[in-house]
This record gives sequence, structure tokens and C-alpha cells, in this order.
Amino acid sequence: MNEHTAEILSQTNFSSIDWVIVLLYLSISVVIGLFVRKFVVNMTDYIGAGRALGTCLGIATMTGTEMGLVTVMYSSQKGFTGGFAAFHIALVAGIVTFLVGASGFIVAKLRESEVLTIPEYYEKRFDRKTRVLGGIMLALGGILNMGLFLKVGSIFIVGVTGLSAQGWALPLVMTLLLVLVLIYTTLGGMFSVVVTDYIQFVVLSAGMLVATYVAIQVIGWDHLFETIVAAKGQAGFDPFVSEGAFGLEYVLWMAFTAGLVSCAIWPTAVARALAAKDAKTVKKQYMWSSISFMIRFLIPNFLGIAAFVLITTKSPELNALFFPTDGSAPLDNLYAMPIFLGRIIPTGIIGLISAAMIAAFMSTHDSYLLAWSSVLTQDVIAPLRRNGMTGAERIKCTRILIVVIGLYILYWGLFYKGNDDIWDYMAVTGAIYFTGSFAVLLGGLYWKRASSTGAFLALLSGIFAVVGLGPVQALLGIQISGERVGLLTVAFSLFVMVLGSLLFPDNSYAMSEARREALNDKAQMQEV
Amino acid sequence: MDFWIAFWKICFVVVLALFAVLAVFVTIGGYRDIRELFQTMEE
Repeated sequence: MNEHTAEILSQTNFSSIDWVIVLLYLSISVVIGLFVRKFVVNMTDYIGAGRALGTCLGIATMTGTEMGLVTVMYSSQKGFTGGFAAFHIALVAGIVTFLVGASGFIVAKLRESEVLTIPEYYEKRFDRKTRVLGGIMLALGGILNMGLFLKVGSIFIVGVTGLSAQGWALPLVMTLLLVLVLIYTTLGGMFSVVVTDYIQFVVLSAGMLVATYVAIQVIGWDHLFETIVAAKGQAGFDPFVSEGAFGLEYVLWMAFTAGLVSCAIWPTAVARALAAKDAKTVKKQYMWSSISFMIRFLIPNFLGIAAFVLITTKSPELNALFFPTDGSAPLDNLYAMPIFLGRIIPTGIIGLISAAMIAAFMSTHDSYLLAWSSVLTQDVIAPLRRNGMTGAERIKCTRILIVVIGLYILYWGLFYKGNDDIWDYMAVTGAIYFTGSFAVLLGGLYWKRASSTGAFLALLSGIFAVVGLGPVQALLGIQISGERVGLLTVAFSLFVMVLGSLLFPDNSYAMSEARREALNDKAQMQEV
Repeated sequence: MDFWIAFWKICFVVVLALFAVLAVFVTIGGYRDIRELFQTMEE
């Protein structure tokens, strides 16, 4: 990187005052976590006693967790590459979440089944081998899905602070962040409690609204639309235009992934539904949260569009970096939004927004690392061991897996060479789990004749989703869009679920044996 | 294209306004919930 480029990228409003704000914010979060720690046991009693969190706090924690740094980054990238047409992702996510809330589709039935995790439901409805395979597919899809989180989070920090001038900055920030995340998580995840989630919601909501206001002030409302018309034409607004970044298949894929999967099948969202007071509470929370589900895509989409307009019309030196005409490699467009924020948001406010983003990043990592490591421990390793596992063995196993997964995401972030947008990468890798899971949940909850063989085969068919990844397609020498692969995998999983159930129905003796085994295991778990 | 430009303008403003109202509502209500939560736990 030459000196001229380094000079361009280091221009930011992020100053030493902002670094102090970031450190103060994170320190205060730790202090609050320590203060709240003495209540944590009581809080479990409080919620366990049937008095769930209030609706407001429920919405705040749901939004605080869902509107993480990674979400903001991949959504802004979509706005940068797709223009206003990317807004359709927010719209379908909000509409589908509202409809799931209004109808209770999947989530209410799942809540009524009184399980705490989806693999547990697999065993209750089908058998143990379905639970183990479900756990493997869930962990495989989930861990691959978070493979680029560390890199994306580090790009935000490097971009917004102006560190991107140095080539060593990204791997160094990634390593430091990983160490922080691992310490944070293995401390017991005790800071990810409602109070810090609530503070994150307040700061991030205010920060996002301020950033939107400043972006409109700096660039001009009409200028935003005029530039996208000139640069992208119809494709910058109409998501159904197949010559653009999207098309009909993509919109359908988004209705399924950003809508249905995000709120009703993805484990971190379903966990809230399964822990709610009752099915009625689940519906109410989902209907209100549909606004949050919409905004977590919409504002970052908008900031990505604003970054595109600033770069292409008001900053020739940045334009030359992102859209070079001399044949040199362009700068990764993930840097666009953080560089844009670093240039337009005033000192002080940019520190506060960055601090809340980093705190949200830690909270998301904490939830995901715990989710995937505990799935592997509880749903794969423990059921496969003949003598089961003691509580201490389970905790030790989970902690080892947290470190292993952490090292994997550092490696994957440094060496994965796919060119897909981050959101498309996440949709395809997540599909390894959710395409099969959708078929199994749909069959299990709504079709009495769904059999364990059908469920097993449907879960297994999710593996075809990896064909949607760029490097896999290059290896196979084929070229199919990720959304087409995803939709075909969904259809195939449903077909396999129906065919497998009709050809290999469960006999009642085998099922009663499997259920008795499940009940014994549950009793053993409660003893642990 | 004029339809889509108008549609996204309205959509953006409406959702942003809804979110601003929700954020204020949740901030105030959430504070009340937290206070209640701590009072219960203190008791």
C-alpha cells in the first residue's frame, strides 16, 4: 500500500477522545456485569418462577442481540452493491416476522411442545439418531456461518479508526478481538444479561438514528436518489430486475432466510420463543419485534447507499480506491461504510457508536460460541457416549470447544477466499442447517405421518447447500446462483421428508422405545 | 422506476418514524422493567 493510499484511508474523525470513550464504555459494561452478577441466580429464579421479562425489555434484548456489528456490516454491504433495491430484504424480513407472530407459525407450536432446544424437539418427536444428526448439521452450518464474523468485525474497527493504512492492522485486530471474546465468553458470559443488552439497545438505536440524520444532512436527500438513478438505473430500485444485484429468485430466498428462518428457525431467535412465558407471549413479542427486524436491515442498507454516493460523487480519491480504472485490485467494499462513518460522524459520537458496536459484537460472539459449543456437547457428544457425561465434564467439553471454534474463525477469516457478499455467504452456509430443519419442523409439527427416517434424510439433504459457495462452485466447475441452490435445497429437503416418511413409516413399538429413551435421558439431565 | 423511488422513500420514512417511536417507548418501558426487576430481586 503506497503512502498516498495510506494518507487517504487514515482521514477520520475518530480521535484519541473516541478511543477513551470506547475503553470507558467497555469498562462500564464490565462493572455493570460484575454488579449484576450477584443477582444472576435470583434472576434465573425470577424468570423460572413464571414471571417473564416485560415486553419492553424483551424487545430491547431481542434487538440488542440481533442488531450486532456483523448485521450492520453485511447489510451496509448490500446497500452499497444493490442500491435502494436492497430495502426489499428489510421489508420481507419485517412482513414475514409479523406474520409469524400473528399466526404463531412454527414458534407457537414449538413453544407448546415444551422443549428448550430444537435438537431436543427432534428426539421428542422422532428419535435419538435424528437429534444427533440435527446437532451435527446445526453446529456445522452455524460454525461455518460465523466463520467470517471476526474478519467483518475487525474490518469495521480498522476502517472507522483509520488503521486501514497499515497492512498488519487487520490480522492484529482480529487476533486481539478473538482474545477479548474468548476471555469474555469463558468468564461465563455473565455480562450478556438484560441490563447490558438494554444499554446497547438505547445507545445503538440513538446512534443509528443520528448516523442516518447526519448522512442525509451531509449528502442531501434528493442527491442520494439522483446518484443511484444515474449509477444503477432501474436495478438500483426494483428488486425484481434480474439484471441487477437481485431478481425474483433472490426476493423469494430473502423471504425465506431473512424472514422465516431468521425469526422462526435460527436457534438464537427460537431460544427466546422457547423461553417465553407462553405461546401468546411469543406471538406478541414477535409482532412488535418485526419493526426491529426491519430496521436492523434498513438503516445499515441506507448507510451503505450513502457511503456509495459519498465515494462516487464527493470523494474522487476514495472512488479511485473502490472503483479503480487502472486495472489495480479494488479495496474490499466492506470498508466503505466504516470509512464513511469515520468521515461524517463528529468526534465523540463516533466513539460512542463504535463502542456500542464493539459491545454488541462481543455479545453476539458470546451467544454464538456458547450456542454451537453447547449443541456439540449436549446434542452430539453426550448422547453418543454410552455412560453419558457429568455436569463438570459437559462444562469442560463446552469450554474446550469454545476455544477450538474461536481459533477456527481466526483461521477462516484470514484464509477464506470467496467473493460472495457476506450476507449471501451467511445465507448459504446457514442453509446447511436450516433447509433440512425447516422440512423436519414443518413435518414434525404439522404432519402426523412424518417419520424418523424421513426426518433423518431431510436433515442430511441440507448438505447440498454448500454448492452455493463460490469456492465450491469453482472446484466443481459449475456456476449457479446461491439463491437458486438454496431454494432447490429447500424443495429437495421437503420432497425427501415426504418420500422418506411414506416409504419408511415409524412403527409404534420403535417409537415408544425411542420416546422412553428420551424421557430417561431427560431425567438424567435434570439430575446433572 | 418512479413507482419504486416513491415506494422506497415512503417505506424508509415510515419505518424510520416507527422505529424512533418504538425506541423511545422501549427505552422508557425498559427502564421501568429493569427497576421493577431489581426491586423484586432485592425483596
